[in-house]
Amino acid sequence: MNSNDAIFAQLATLGSSLVLLFGIALLWRRSLSAYVRAFRWQSLALALTFALIGYFGHNRELYIVAAILVVLKVIVIPGYLTRLYERVGGKREAQPYVNIATSLIIAGLLVLLSYAITRPLVTVSKLPTRNGIPLAVGLILIGVFVIISRRKALSQIIGFLVLENGVALLAALGTYGIPLIVELGVFLDVLMGFLVMQILVYQIKDTFESIDVEQLSRLRH
Amino acid sequence: MTGYLLEIGQAALALLLAPGLVGFIRVVKARLQGRRGAPPWQPYYDLRKLFGKEAVVSRNASWLFRFAPYLIFATTVVVTMLVPLVAAPLPFDAVGDLLTVVYLMLLGTFFLALAGLDPGTAFGGMGASREMTVAAIAEPTIALAIFGLAVGAGSTNLGQIVAQTLSHPGAVINPGHLLGFAALFIVTLAETGRLPVDNPATHLELTMIHEAMTLEYSGRYLALIEWAAGLKLLIFFSLLSNLFLPWGVATALTPGALAIAVIALIAKLALLGLAVALIETRIAKLRLFRVPELLGVSFVLALLSVTSSFLLR
Amino acid sequence: MIVKALFLVMITAWIAGAIASLVTGRGVIARSVTALGACVGSAACLLLGVTALVTGQSLTLNSTRLLPVSGLMLRLDGLGAFFLVIIGLVGLASAIYGYGYSANYEGRYSLRMAGAMLNLLLLALGLQVMAYNALTFLIAWEAMSLSAYWLVLTEHDKTETVRAAVWYIAMTHAGFAALMAMFLLMAGGDLTTSFEGMRSNAAALSSTLRNVIFVLGLFGFGSKAGIVPLHVWLPMAHPVAPSHVSALMSGVVIKMGIYGLARVTLDLLGGGPVWWGVVVLGVGAISALLGVLYALMEHDLKRLLAYHSVENIGIILIGIGAGLVFHSYGLTSLAALGFIGGLYHTLNHACFKGLLFLGAGSVLHGTHTRNMEEMGGLIKRMPVTALCFLIGAIAISGLPPLNGFASEWLVFQSLLGGFNIPRPEVAVIMPVAVGMLALTSGLAAACFVKAFGITFLAIPRSREAEQASEAPFSMRAGMAILALACVALGLAPFIVVPALGRVLAGLGGLPDTHPAFTLKLSLATPGGASRVSPALLALGTLIILGLIPLALRALRANRRLRFGDSWGCGRIGQTPRMEYTATSFAEPLRRVFAELYRPTKELTIDFHPESKYFVQSIEYKSEITPWFEKYVYEPCLWLVRLLAVNVRRLQSGSLHLYLVYVAIALVILLLSARW
Repeated sequence: MNSNDAIFAQLATLGSSLVLLFGIALLWRRSLSAYVRAFRWQSLALALTFALIGYFGHNRELYIVAAILVVLKVIVIPGYLTRLYERVGGKREAQPYVNIATSLIIAGLLVLLSYAITRPLVTVSKLPTRNGIPLAVGLILIGVFVIISRRKALSQIIGFLVLENGVALLAALGTYGIPLIVELGVFLDVLMGFLVMQILVYQIKDTFESIDVEQLSRLRH
Repeated sequence: MTGYLLEIGQAALALLLAPGLVGFIRVVKARLQGRRGAPPWQPYYDLRKLFGKEAVVSRNASWLFRFAPYLIFATTVVVTMLVPLVAAPLPFDAVGDLLTVVYLMLLGTFFLALAGLDPGTAFGGMGASREMTVAAIAEPTIALAIFGLAVGAGSTNLGQIVAQTLSHPGAVINPGHLLGFAALFIVTLAETGRLPVDNPATHLELTMIHEAMTLEYSGRYLALIEWAAGLKLLIFFSLLSNLFLPWGVATALTPGALAIAVIALIAKLALLGLAVALIETRIAKLRLFRVPELLGVSFVLALLSVTSSFLLR
Repeated sequence: MIVKALFLVMITAWIAGAIASLVTGRGVIARSVTALGACVGSAACLLLGVTALVTGQSLTLNSTRLLPVSGLMLRLDGLGAFFLVIIGLVGLASAIYGYGYSANYEGRYSLRMAGAMLNLLLLALGLQVMAYNALTFLIAWEAMSLSAYWLVLTEHDKTETVRAAVWYIAMTHAGFAALMAMFLLMAGGDLTTSFEGMRSNAAALSSTLRNVIFVLGLFGFGSKAGIVPLHVWLPMAHPVAPSHVSALMSGVVIKMGIYGLARVTLDLLGGGPVWWGVVVLGVGAISALLGVLYALMEHDLKRLLAYHSVENIGIILIGIGAGLVFHSYGLTSLAALGFIGGLYHTLNHACFKGLLFLGAGSVLHGTHTRNMEEMGGLIKRMPVTALCFLIGAIAISGLPPLNGFASEWLVFQSLLGGFNIPRPEVAVIMPVAVGMLALTSGLAAACFVKAFGITFLAIPRSREAEQASEAPFSMRAGMAILALACVALGLAPFIVVPALGRVLAGLGGLPDTHPAFTLKLSLATPGGASRVSPALLALGTLIILGLIPLALRALRANRRLRFGDSWGCGRIGQTPRMEYTATSFAEPLRRVFAELYRPTKELTIDFHPESKYFVQSIEYKSEITPWFEKYVYEPCLWLVRLLAVNVRRLQSGSLHLYLVYVAIALVILLLSARW
């Protein structure tokens, strides 16, 4: 492993750690605007990591992916989100199901779990970026956890987006990215999914006068 | 050539004898009941009278009503040319076998029932419904009797069945044979509308089956139907006698054999007519809903006959 | 090659018809393109089948040349060609008929879907009988079921229709599951194995596996064919579909069950132990008898015809079952006879049942009702329909000289060969089957006297019947095609039987039976020869029919005719209330078979308030007990509902709980992958 690779490995791990940290920040803050901000910074860090991998891994396509990431997940989607919560939600997340302290402990446990799970993958892989893989998987698990432990629909959407980020990071670290056409497809997917969720949030608000997802159980007869 | 002449002659003989058979049964019944009765050739006079009369047809009826008597008569005449009345095997043997005979007669019954429904009277509907019930329930017995005969002869060809029985005289007293005869006798009573299933001389509509269907007919139509009914009786009697006891049937087309065959036929018809007349005098008519029980008995007899011929091989 | 050309014409015509119907969407143009596409395709299909049967050419196609999809294989052989003839004939008549019939649907229902689905159904049917591996077979089967489902749902605003369609799709999918399992077992897990491969593997399968395959096949194909007790969807679905679709479904789609059964048991598995044949024979006999008994009690014209389809499938299975029994004893010429009888009846039933359904559709078109108790006297207002229906009625009752008689005669003859069976216990089944078959045909005749008589004869029982009008030309043409086919197939069995003999030659080791081409139909069975010639019978009857009037003229009989009132014991005037009704016609039979029907009776009499000797109104209601729906299906449905209610307890309605389920599942999966 030459020095170039060593620097690459270090920077890649640094980037992934930053991405993960911003994800954990989601579990620490309470207000919706903080959520959106955390997401923004996370996506920026992710884009930089992508560009990094593209540079060191000599894969031009990743630059394009990074650029789209910036446009979509740093500018467009957070913009929509801000507009959404200004119109619909209160500024604060109501009491989540799991309180902050417990959530942080669980996040830590999830990251440990992801290390356990990805150990065979890390030992097998020859890529310099392999040390970041557990972090990416941890981010995925944290995204899932955010979805299940938050009450408001908006928080759940953000949890979903973080999950997407985690998957993209895993793809980049594990295989230096996926074919461009697939990546574009995924972006389209995310955008569409987001728009659908937006519509749903408006509908929930209209029907229940609140975006507390628990109210949905009133639909059961 | 002689074959075709034979066939036509056979049909003509049947046509000639049929009303006489009906008259004979009536005369015997009358004497048994202590009356004098009309002479046995009265049905011939009746037919002549009917042919001379004008036909009155209901306004509600359609072309089917006027077509049915012709079809019934034609199919019955075709059947007389297939059945071994005086000779076996017949030249037309290959045209139809025993199954064909049964289904051709069912075709006649089908159209008669439709003609009963056509004028739109309740009597016709009643006759049609009862007739089809009896015909349907009699079918399995007929089929099993045919099966029994065919098993013995190896095919359903009438000529072959007759030949088989002629060459194995001992088979006549086979239990299977006798049971089959009994079953087919009961079916004959049902299909030809004799007591205890149907009373051919009744004037009460509620007790009619065959008469109810033909209530609307008059003139030449009625004549054709009555004649066809007589033919049907003759056909059933000759099937009973010539399939189960075929002695007298001509196997060669010589004048002597044919003469014997004709005399034998008349004798057998007279014997069976006597038997039917006796039964009709002794037994009262069954209620309609007891008739299936009677036919069930005949079915069981036929089934036993077939099973015994299977298991006693 | 002509065969290939016909095949391409057939496929293109149907696809074009479907697309054109979707595109044009409404009006005369939509109906015309649908009918045109379906017609051309069906005519090509018919010609293809006939050519393949006559010349013995076959056609093989692997899909990679046609579509960029692999795994589909098509091959046309004798059995398939025979069924193509059936598809083509009934398809042609239905398509022409459908042009006139769907005029009723203008503006009310979607002609677009009806037309497209009709063409797709025909396409699926055509490909079904040419499928050469399990994958193609199953794809075509599913396509056939789904397009038939959409066609059944054409008149979708009636609850009866929706209910019938649900039952239909549920039962057809249950059968499909069984078929998929069966093919997986036969092909050892690889659905793209060709039939040729399956045939050679079949000998190596253990006998338990073969038995399982047979049972699955009987269930799957039987539920499509409509054997008892899997028949309950038939009397629901066939009446509510448009009449030309009913004709196609009753005439062709249920025959695909017979095709499948013949293909799997005879061709692919090469026959089996005796109990297979006995089971098929038994199921056939019971279906035949129960089908006709339930048909007798119906006064909905199309439901009556649907139950008769159950009956005739029973008769076909009697023939096939007898063939299988003889095959397992090595009596191959008798086995061939049984199969020929069964397959011939398949063709005949397609013709006369198609004809009867088209006739019922004309009646529905003219009187706007399916209830026989409101019809009557239609023979004068709809003469062509009446004549065609009469021909169909005579054919289905098995009366000579039409086609029903020819095939029933063959089935009887094959059963009569039963005394050649070495084991008496098995041989005794044959006479019992003969008795049941005879009873069935007698009851069928009774039922059709009722159906034709009450519908067409006597006096109209309602205003609609009084004002009924004859069907338009296209509908009459469709009926006429099938009526001519019935007559032709009845008079010329000596053309069909040798063709069938050739079809069956080689399948499962059957010999090539070559009855000679003569005017008579001669069969050489072990033990004797039976002969019948419907053509000569018909000729003889016609000659005598012609002679009778001449003879009457010679006898100087009175030829005058006067029209008068029906005789009524001196009553004045006749009203429709005085004639027999369908229920009253069937009443003696209802009493005879009361043990089966267990009819319930409700009688309410309203008396005049002043005196109990004056009756104001009488209401009589009687129902027969639907055994299968009540005692077989209701318990199954109750069980399913019970399970569903209990499973619902898992559903709390809380989104979070569901998400927790998902998360836990994810973690478990990851852990299990790791360890």
